[in-house]
Amino acid sequence: MSSIMYKEISFQSIFSLRAGGALPRRGKDDVRTLISNAEVSTILSKLITTLFIAFFGFAVFLPLMAGTSSSYPTRELTAVGSVSTFLAVVLFLISFMGLQVSTSFVSSKAIDVLTPLSLSKSDISHIVFLCFIRIFDIPLAASAMVLLLAYYFIGGSFLGGLAAFAGIIVTEAFALMLTVGLARFFYSRVAGGGGKSRWKTLLRFVFMLVWILPSFGIYFVVNFAGQIAQSFTSLTQGVSSILQLLVLIYPFSYGYLVSFATFSFQASYLTVALSVAACSGYFALAAYCVKWVTRTVGRIGAGGISTALREVVKDTAVSPQAPWLGTIRKDLRIASRSPSYASLFLLPAIEAAVLAMSFSSFNEVGLSSTLGLLTGMSVVVLMLPPTLVSIEGLAASYTRSLPLKKKTLISAKTLLSTLTYAISLVVLFVVALYVGRSYFYILTFGAIHLFSVAAATMLELIILTNKFWKEGFAIGNIYARLSTYILIIIPGLAVVMIPIIAALATFLLAQSLTLAVFLGLAVTEFAVATAYVALEK
Amino acid sequence: MQEVAVQVEGLVVNYGPFVAVDNLSFTVNSGEIYGLLGPNGAGKTSTLKVLVGVLEARAGKIEVFNTPISQEVAAKSQIGYVPEEVVLLDSLTPREFLEFIASIRKLEASAANSRLEKLVSAFELKQFFDTPIAALSMGNKQKVAIIAALLHEPRLLVLDEPLIGLDARSSKILKELVTFHAKRGGAVIFSTHIMEVAEKLCDRVGIINKGKIVGEGTVNELRKLVKSAEGSLEDIFLKVTEQEAGMQDVIRALEEEEKQP
Repeated sequence: MSSIMYKEISFQSIFSLRAGGALPRRGKDDVRTLISNAEVSTILSKLITTLFIAFFGFAVFLPLMAGTSSSYPTRELTAVGSVSTFLAVVLFLISFMGLQVSTSFVSSKAIDVLTPLSLSKSDISHIVFLCFIRIFDIPLAASAMVLLLAYYFIGGSFLGGLAAFAGIIVTEAFALMLTVGLARFFYSRVAGGGGKSRWKTLLRFVFMLVWILPSFGIYFVVNFAGQIAQSFTSLTQGVSSILQLLVLIYPFSYGYLVSFATFSFQASYLTVALSVAACSGYFALAAYCVKWVTRTVGRIGAGGISTALREVVKDTAVSPQAPWLGTIRKDLRIASRSPSYASLFLLPAIEAAVLAMSFSSFNEVGLSSTLGLLTGMSVVVLMLPPTLVSIEGLAASYTRSLPLKKKTLISAKTLLSTLTYAISLVVLFVVALYVGRSYFYILTFGAIHLFSVAAATMLELIILTNKFWKEGFAIGNIYARLSTYILIIIPGLAVVMIPIIAALATFLLAQSLTLAVFLGLAVTEFAVATAYVALEK
Repeated sequence: MQEVAVQVEGLVVNYGPFVAVDNLSFTVNSGEIYGLLGPNGAGKTSTLKVLVGVLEARAGKIEVFNTPISQEVAAKSQIGYVPEEVVLLDSLTPREFLEFIASIRKLEASAANSRLEKLVSAFELKQFFDTPIAALSMGNKQKVAIIAALLHEPRLLVLDEPLIGLDARSSKILKELVTFHAKRGGAVIFSTHIMEVAEKLCDRVGIINKGKIVGEGTVNELRKLVKSAEGSLEDIFLKVTEQEAGMQDVIRALEEEEKQP
């Protein structure tokens, strides 16, 4: 039965976005396509997470596999660092994936159909839990396999393998608890609030930041895999004097236990005993987490926690804006209440902050590094237009009846995307200022690149609205229609890259013309895209 | 002479190979309440969706107050629509949703607020005004959709099963509003399965079956069509849609099954 419920939830996750409630009036073939899309998309999202895990797993264990650190205590401490890092990363990746899908899980309310059936509460709870676990099945299994395989390659022992297996099980239980806990908090305290309360608005913003942390983590670990593993190793070496304390802290306790069981290095009985005790404690905590998740997820699946707290309504006044501004306000409001949307809105600014951290390794933020930073940030911003268009699909079967011009829609979403990019540039500028690096290139090239990003956004939105205007807007969320996203992002990417590549080429050939070429191309792109949008009805 | 509010000619709507609406034509005049009746899957909702621009027709011509529906913005500005299945932006509150609607329809704040206050009070929605739509009951969601449809004082109201989920008070108010709207020269297209409501409320009805109009006119005109002097609209409907004979057989079969020990 959990299999049927799981299929239903996967389907609904794509249905609400793609069909906007218009599905019953579609042809059988369309419905079949939607169902197969939903099935493929859910598998795809699992495989992507699995690939991340596999990539990172082998990246952190590479120094041990290659035998580059063979002497005591480096090898032993590297093993501690590798295992601990891998566990921390699995925690991040599974939580990230969980946060994205928990929205569909809560909003589907598919579990409602189970309640009238002749099933006990405990049966329903188990079905919902199994259904929830199925969302993560491949990544959960892959995490365990990657760790055990990598451990096998470094020449692990049976006992060490057992400890590693226990560590990954505990990590997965923690990840599920983190996902469910955050989802529970979001839907009971944040999403259920009214639009008038400033406190709720502030809370939503804070929560968006919390929600983005796993996204930040994913970016961080993928880009800095080697450095993270090294940092963990350094940490274990640096604090060897307070080893007893460190072995009590997850995930180091498992890292130590695995390393000790593998290499049997010289450690005091007290340290080993503390590590075993801490691991046992975390194992017990994980067992409790699973129990808590089983209980809580049943309530989430039934929509039991999304009941809103009702506020006292003083008036019924509204403040109508111009259509484009009304569209932007609506998009921001919806995004602030949906973790998957919110994370994409905040990702560019967070990415800018992460990239800005790398300033410390530069002596000077020159042209090439600035253009590199602009490339990275604009690629993330290019994911926004499809997301913004998919918001239109949430109620397409109604909103399509509104007299909204295509060019108003494109303008509103272009402005919002470009503004998001501008905020990322401000973050970059502030950090450059803070760390005392030159910010000339960020200011000049960044400001000019806004034109290019706006043009790319317009191009994406023109493609999207032309493709989806007739059939209802939605294209699904990032996991549901990844292939569509990629196909739309490629032309956008070409537009943002043309001035960057041209600027780099000009820099090599005629340095003094670099800024002029960059400006000329960006403004031309913007002018062409704006003229095209102006011609839209 | 009455102005033609809606003109539908040769409308064809299909979903893949399935033809939902087959060469449908009808006219609605201003000041008129036109009931669109038909069994489930007859093509009523598809027709109304094309009329309001939610769905694309394969063929046919539609004009709303002489504006072709192809002139989307101009045509849609004159229409207020309540869908059969109320799918709104669930994470917004009614206040936020109606603010969005007022923005898209370019309403002045003072005019919008004055009308909104009256409508919210009439449908007793004030206490739910800052509650997310997702947390509202079906009836309250329906009220939000009705207020959104009436907010800009449209010339044409397209109401697809608008009474579903409404309490008795709100149903009564909506019916009064619809009647008042028509008296002021507006037009209404009203789809319902409740024959008594259609009989009392509608000036003319069009009965649609398998995507085609199978009967059209006032109730008296339809009685003549089925050669019945006293039948209710329900009787007429069942005859016109050829459901009466089959229905009796089904009822008889069910009754016999009930009698068996």
